[in-house]
Amino acid sequence: MTLPEGQQPGSFRDPSGFLFRHDGVLYRQVNAAYQEHYDLLLASGLYRRLSGEGLLVGHEECDLRLARTPGAYKVLRPDLVPFISYPHEWCFSQLKDAALLTLNLQKIALEHGMSLKDASAYNVQFLHGRPLLIDTLSFEKSPEGRPWVAYRQFCQHFLAPLALIAHRDVRLNLLSRLHLDGVPLDLAGSLLPARTRFKFSLLSHIHLHARSQKRYADKPVRSQQRPMSRFALLALLNSLETAVKKLHWRPSGSEWAEYYGHTNYSDQAGEFKEKLVGEFLLSLSPLHVWDIGANTGVFSRLASQRNIPTVALDIDAAAVEKNYLQCRDSGEKFLLPLVGDITNPSPGIGWENEERQSLLQRCPVDTVMALALVHHLAIANNLPLAKIADFFSRFCRNLIVEFIPKSDSQVQLLLATRDDIFPDYHVAGFEKEFLRFFTIERREAIAHSERILYAMRSKIHAGK
Amino acid sequence: MNLLSKTMKMLVLAAASCLLFPRYAYCYIDPGTGSYVFQIVIAAFVALSFAVKVYWQKIRQFVGRLFSKKEK
Repeated sequence: MTLPEGQQPGSFRDPSGFLFRHDGVLYRQVNAAYQEHYDLLLASGLYRRLSGEGLLVGHEECDLRLARTPGAYKVLRPDLVPFISYPHEWCFSQLKDAALLTLNLQKIALEHGMSLKDASAYNVQFLHGRPLLIDTLSFEKSPEGRPWVAYRQFCQHFLAPLALIAHRDVRLNLLSRLHLDGVPLDLAGSLLPARTRFKFSLLSHIHLHARSQKRYADKPVRSQQRPMSRFALLALLNSLETAVKKLHWRPSGSEWAEYYGHTNYSDQAGEFKEKLVGEFLLSLSPLHVWDIGANTGVFSRLASQRNIPTVALDIDAAAVEKNYLQCRDSGEKFLLPLVGDITNPSPGIGWENEERQSLLQRCPVDTVMALALVHHLAIANNLPLAKIADFFSRFCRNLIVEFIPKSDSQVQLLLATRDDIFPDYHVAGFEKEFLRFFTIERREAIAHSERILYAMRSKIHAGK
Repeated sequence: MNLLSKTMKMLVLAAASCLLFPRYAYCYIDPGTGSYVFQIVIAAFVALSFAVKVYWQKIRQFVGRLFSKKEK
């Protein structure tokens, strides 16, 4: 992941501090305005407890002379998260686990006299297979009697998209990509089916909440503030937790069950392919891997089980959900399943299109696995082979790629409903275009099939 | 004089209430007035069921003792 030097583009809204990069190292400046809260975070034992339990990113205090601007109180070096992912790239259970983490953090913070001052889903990342908060400055001293200032944000960032997936359609998670501060509650309310008005948790935290927002839209918060007891605050958190826990999403039975049966090659060919990919990985010894079109992550695990940080990207939210649940249940630490369409990757969003980076800005990746993918790109998406090769050569240093000829039944299936306008789609055409951007390190036919597996090195990244 | 002391008393009380319940706390995100007001209302509503949940064990013990005494 490449980060620009200087202040990080997504870290400017909170005057408590910001992230910056100096000599390739990521630091967090804590401003004097946050001094009282930072001291309480440490003195109350909250930091020790949360970082010890893996709920909050750990950090080291560094030399204050590293401060980037005047008025700094501390400079921290946070532990690095290998890959920054965004909520619209998560599957349902990832978003749900991130929501439950946020509520748990708020409950623990209250025990220590502090409170979460924001509840942005972007503050949660996945490390070692578990969600954790990466914004150390999210906690503030909690004055007795004050309501939760992040209640609106929690409902918009977590509850609304979760409810929309559970009760309407999984693709509505992409609304978080359009709305940087979470899904507006009036929009969520209008999209949710009428039956959700008969569920108390959704009736209250989404439908009535949206109505209240509309009613008080032009009234200042100062005139409306009333004290709220700690018990009432805990009751509110408990209600939100129940609301989140009650939301479930499962794709339809047949679709769900078929993920292991989507291949058309024999068990022998499958075993041979796994063996070959394992060998290629061994010879390339990658720092990190992206498996694009990973499905449920069968091949991704060839990398992650070798303790290589691996991202398993797939367009199908159901496959990613299954992959994540498997990761979570078996405690896998090196695999991060994400939802994404490589033909339409996450764009840069927010201020100047830089506040949240595009998928390609968060690259290059050391090694990409593109297994049974090129025929989808070339034939189903009309992408010329030259463009595919060019893209991968900029996206990654090493590429493990599979070529599936037209005679294969999977390609025949793609051609069944359309004209064959792909005269250059053959092994020679594939190699000709990829050799312009890559050197081929290994080329092996997959036994008991017509497919070919390649290990390549990008000429663009050679020597970098 | 009476009016002055009354006014002073009111001012002191107002200042104390401000200290006890800060009417406006600094927050860098907009909590949203509607969200702020609504959470107070809904929290009061759910507090009762939360109280039952928190004290359920004690309620059960209390009811259990009540019935066991009757049986004796």
